[in-house]
Amino acid sequence: MIRFENVSKDFIVNDKKTRVINHITLSIEKKEIYGLVGQTGSGKSTILRLMNGFIEPDDGDIYLMDEKLDEKTKHRLVKDTSMIFQSFNLLGNLNVIENVLLPSKIRKENKKDNIRKAQKLLSFVGLSNLEQSYIRNLSGGEKQRVAIARTLMTNPKLIFCDEPTSALDEKTSYEILKLLKDINEKFETTIVVVSHDISVIKALCNRVAIIERGKVADIISLKTKDLRPISYKEALLSD
Amino acid sequence: MIDQYIETYKVFEIGIYKSLLETLDMMFTAMLISLIIGLLIGFMLFITGTGGIYKNKTIYFITSGIVNITRSIPFILFIIVIIPFNRLILGTGFGVNASKIPLSFIGIATFARFVEKDLLDVDKDIYETSYALGANTIQYFIYFLLREARSGLVLSFTSTTISLLSYSTVMGIIGGGGLGYLAISEGYYNFNYSLMWIIIIIMIIIVQIVQTTGNIIAKKIDKR
Repeated sequence: MIRFENVSKDFIVNDKKTRVINHITLSIEKKEIYGLVGQTGSGKSTILRLMNGFIEPDDGDIYLMDEKLDEKTKHRLVKDTSMIFQSFNLLGNLNVIENVLLPSKIRKENKKDNIRKAQKLLSFVGLSNLEQSYIRNLSGGEKQRVAIARTLMTNPKLIFCDEPTSALDEKTSYEILKLLKDINEKFETTIVVVSHDISVIKALCNRVAIIERGKVADIISLKTKDLRPISYKEALLSD
Repeated sequence: MIDQYIETYKVFEIGIYKSLLETLDMMFTAMLISLIIGLLIGFMLFITGTGGIYKNKTIYFITSGIVNITRSIPFILFIIVIIPFNRLILGTGFGVNASKIPLSFIGIATFARFVEKDLLDVDKDIYETSYALGANTIQYFIYFLLREARSGLVLSFTSTTISLLSYSTVMGIIGGGGLGYLAISEGYYNFNYSLMWIIIIIMIIIVQIVQTTGNIIAKKIDKR
C-alpha cells in the first residue's frame, strides 16, 4: 500500500539545512493498522506528510497504492486517502453535516446521494442528533467524530491519523480508537497512526515503526488486544 | 434655525437627489470592481507572501509595491495623474464615468490589503486540511479560505465602502459630481453653510447605514 525507498528529507532550521528524515525504507501492507511511534521531534509527523504527498522528499522514492508519488500524481492519489488531525481541523463556519459533505463537494459528486451518505456516516459515528450543530458547540470527542465521518465520506483506501487522541480524555480516546478499529474491520481501510502515546499504538496497531532522530530504529509486530473502556481509577492503578 | 435648513433642503432638493444618485453610481461601480479584483489581488498577496503556498518574493514585491503606491499618492493628485488613462479607456478624462476609474483603483488597493490581512488571520493548518481532503488551489480559496475568513472580509469590505464614499467627495475635480462636490461648490464656496451641513448629515447617515449593515452581516455569518 505504501512503500518508502531510502527516503530523506531536509528542513531549513535557523538558515541551516537540517536532515529530519534520514534514509528511511519501510513498507505498509493493505488493511494493516500501522503505527509510527517516537518522541516529539523524531520525525514521525513528517513521515506522515511525506506519505500523503503534502511534502516532497529530497532523496528516495515513495510509492502510494503501487504508484510513484510525485508532483504529477499526488493530487490524484491523495483523493484516495484521508487524514485525521490532532486538532480536528474542521471548518468553524460550516455545520456538522456541511463539514462531512466537504470532501464530496470538492469531488463534485451528486449532492442528494451524498447527503444520505453523510447522514449514515454521522449515525455510524454516533452523531445523528448533531447534524445541524456548529463546531464551536461540540466537545473534543464529538469534533473528532465529525472529522472521522468526513474522512469516511470518500471511501478512502488509506487513512492517516496524526495524534488522533492526544487532545482527548481517556474515555473519549477509547471511543475514537474503537471507531478507528471498526473502520479498519468494516471497510478494510489501511490506517497509519502517528502517536507518542504507547497505549494508543498498543491498542490499535498490527505493526509499529519506532522512529528515532529521523530513522527507523526498529519495526515491531504486535498482537492487539480487544479494546475496552477503562476508568480513571483503573488507568491510574494499571502498570 | 431648523426652518432655515428645511427651506435650504427644499430649494436644493433636486440637486441633492441628483448628487446622491451620482455618488451612488460612482460608488456601486467602484465597489463591485474593488470586491472582485481586490479579492483576487489580496489572495495573490497572501499566497506569494511569507508562508504562502506559492511564496515568490518578486511577485509579492511588485504587487505589494503597486498596492502601496496607489494608496500613498494623495488621492486628489492620483485623480489628476490618472486622467490620461481615463482618456485611453473611456475616450474622456472627465465626468461621472471617468471618476469611477480612480475610485476603483483606490478601492482595489485598499480592499486587497484588507483581504491579505484577513486571510493571514485564518488558521494556518487550513491549507494542509484542504490538501488532505483533495482540494486544488481554487477550491482551497473558495471552499476553505473564503468560508473561514468571510466575516472578516465583510467588515473589511464595509470599511472599503466607507473609504470609497469619502474618496468620492473629491471627484468634482474631474466633473464627477456627487454629494461632496455639491457641499463644497454650492455650500462652502457660496457661503451656503446650511446646505453643507445637510449634506454632511446625509453622509453621516449613509456611513451609519453601511457600517451597521456590515456589522450585522458579519455577526450573522460568523459561526466560529
